Amino acid sequence: MNDAAKTEAVLVVGGGITGLTAALEAAEVGKDVFIVERNPYLGGRVAQLNQYFPKLCPPTCGLEINFKRIKNNRKIRTYTMTTVKSVSGEAGNYEVTLETAPRYVNSNCTACGDCAEVCTDEIDNAFNFGMNKCKAIYLPHEMAFPRRYVLAKKACSAASLEAIKGACKYNAIDTEMEPETFTLHVGSIIWATGWNPYDASKLDNLKPNSSPAIITNMMMERMAAPNGPTGGKILRPGDDKEIESIAFVQCAGSRDENHLEYCSYICCMASMKQMTYVRERYPDAKIYVFYIDLRTPGKYEHFREKLRTDANAQFIKGKVADIIAESDGGVTVVAENAVTGAKIHQKVDMCVLATGMQPALGEQGKALGLKMDRNGFVVSEPDKGMIAAGCARSAADVYTCTQSGTAAALKAIQTA
Amino acid sequence: MSVNVQPDIDFIKDMKEAGGDTLKKCFQCATCSVVCPLSSDENPFPRRQMILAQWGLKDKLLGDPNVLLCHQCGDCTAYCPRGAKPGDVMGAIRAYAYKHYGWPSWLAKLASRGQNLPILVGIPALIIFIMYLISGSHVPASEDFIQFGYGHFFGHWDWKAIPKTTFFIDFFMIPTAALSLYAAFRGVTSMWKRMAENAGVGKALYQPSPLQFVKEFFWPSVLEIVRHDRFKKCETNKDRVQGHQPLMWAFIALLFVTSYSFFAQDILGQFFPSLHGPMSMWNPVKIIANVAAIALITGAAILWGNRNQMEEQGRASNTFYDWFLIWMIMSVGVTGFGAELLRLINIPSLGYLAYYLHLVSVMMLFLYMPYTKFAHLVYRTFAMTFARYRESAYVKSPLNGSEK
Repeated sequence: MNDAAKTEAVLVVGGGITGLTAALEAAEVGKDVFIVERNPYLGGRVAQLNQYFPKLCPPTCGLEINFKRIKNNRKIRTYTMTTVKSVSGEAGNYEVTLETAPRYVNSNCTACGDCAEVCTDEIDNAFNFGMNKCKAIYLPHEMAFPRRYVLAKKACSAASLEAIKGACKYNAIDTEMEPETFTLHVGSIIWATGWNPYDASKLDNLKPNSSPAIITNMMMERMAAPNGPTGGKILRPGDDKEIESIAFVQCAGSRDENHLEYCSYICCMASMKQMTYVRERYPDAKIYVFYIDLRTPGKYEHFREKLRTDANAQFIKGKVADIIAESDGGVTVVAENAVTGAKIHQKVDMCVLATGMQPALGEQGKALGLKMDRNGFVVSEPDKGMIAAGCARSAADVYTCTQSGTAAALKAIQTA
Repeated sequence: MSVNVQPDIDFIKDMKEAGGDTLKKCFQCATCSVVCPLSSDENPFPRRQMILAQWGLKDKLLGDPNVLLCHQCGDCTAYCPRGAKPGDVMGAIRAYAYKHYGWPSWLAKLASRGQNLPILVGIPALIIFIMYLISGSHVPASEDFIQFGYGHFFGHWDWKAIPKTTFFIDFFMIPTAALSLYAAFRGVTSMWKRMAENAGVGKALYQPSPLQFVKEFFWPSVLEIVRHDRFKKCETNKDRVQGHQPLMWAFIALLFVTSYSFFAQDILGQFFPSLHGPMSMWNPVKIIANVAAIALITGAAILWGNRNQMEEQGRASNTFYDWFLIWMIMSVGVTGFGAELLRLINIPSLGYLAYYLHLVSVMMLFLYMPYTKFAHLVYRTFAMTFARYRESAYVKSPLNGSEK
């Protein structure tokens, strides 16, 4: 091995809470760090949350300070809308090929928003899981970092593109941008590729597409968030009804060998956190939580105990295995109460599927030469300078992810 | 409420042998009870049966009609998040129940294990072979074979009251059928008693009269069975109805044909000797018999293929309990039909062999009926009857003094 070719630089794949933490930890001890992120913004899934559990503080608390540290740290370079195409080499000497998708907006952008005003085309708002529309030139969300617009060129008419170009005072629109391929030379790679909500449409017995009243827990986060599609109101999609009752369907796809065979770890706490969103807005709403086991490990027990005292909330041991759309816009969830031994048909205004975490990297990880477990989580190989962190490693809460990010940074800086 | 759990290790072992080895994987999420198209709101299954089986509470399971209301549609197994195969476990509990209620118990035990197959075949094979030897063990000449068919299988004598072959067949078939019927009666009676106890029906002031019982509970259940109402609700393994339905009609038709034949040949034949010997192929009863034979073989073949497919796709376990019945029915059909064909093309030696095997298969089917999967014929019918009964005012009305 040619020692001269060795580098101590660290590549962090994924700019969510884990990747940000790992990057900062590595950079703040003096290593060169590159962060690549698939989305046009950093912050990942945490940016989409309304609040963290158990302290129920908003994600701005945490993300904002990390963004500031990244901005001020000359050791960190970030690449958004960028994905890893291939990895070659060995520990201390990796050559990584990456591709940046065209943003069609250059760094002149000041996020003034004049372009969006003249844009007549709209697209589904992916940040809000398609619950509303946004302009085809958009800032992904209120606190997006880097603070720069993105153009969905394919969704725009020629006239709209012309208008957008004309509206920009800073010459920031470049519709001729092409995908850009480049290589990085790094010593180790931290895989912090995070997770996707499990595709609810695969839960065929729950028929999630049969009624707009069936939403996922991540949709609930967006709905409850002040910068979300409803401005923080929890309303039934479709008819915007203020809800009087709601059911939480736990383990929607998790702990199920037909879907995700592992426990996604966060869904029990997430649903209980969302109970507080509901209770805040609807003091008398009936809440039903259908579960197999309530998994609130460690200090989270206190959070659960507090919610168990809610007189209008019922916790029912029994998994919902059927959901029937009703003509009034509500749904009936069906479960067997394993304690009483009778079936329950509970009519509610809305129901939340507590869908689990599916590792976002998936099959792609194998193609990149990573060691993966059978569920698609990345298995660390520190000797090779390949380190998994956060939800790429296992389903975890934010707290565990930041710990995992720090641990990964420690491994990474020891590799080269 | 506290439950005194007395786990029974032998019960768990039995479960494993009968295909319920996945039992312990169940974590009680209750998906099965909801996706089950047959389970009702008040009496959902099979989640409850899964935990009772895990705990080894066989007494509760033996008196649980829900175990028999299950038709193993397989929806529970398909949606089970743990691969605990509740459908197979319910089948294993039924296998255990037939063995438990079986009398004499040594025969019930014998019939429940695949390794005893040589003995299970051997008993009827030996009995009938000895009968054949005693009767003179002859193979007929072609002319006789055409004229008498298998009517002289056990030879012929001039005693008009009862032909020799009929006498021999009756000699082993009537006791076999009687034993089988008695065992079934005994088993169903104890099962009913236990179900009544478990459901707390014992203290009812008024019981239905036998006529009411038949009219309100038994007959509707029989109609339900004949129409396959419950079976047709199955989703995942619904093709099984296509096999079971012709099979059931074949059995009904063959019961009629056998009764007719017994009446015509053995009773009327004494006065009208022309009724002896093989029926004309155009005799309406013979046509029914042939259609039924084809239905029997077709139905068994469909169920055979279906079970193979289910096992290949991991939707069911491979168990002796399930296969033994399919094998027995198939061999009754194939040997019966084979014997008839060999008679028509006039090959006496092979024909006699086929007929011998046919008698062996038929005796097996009769003899092992109360202990094998075939026992569902009686046990399930009465469990379905009980399920109607427990929903009636006799059980439910507080005025009738029953205690829940």
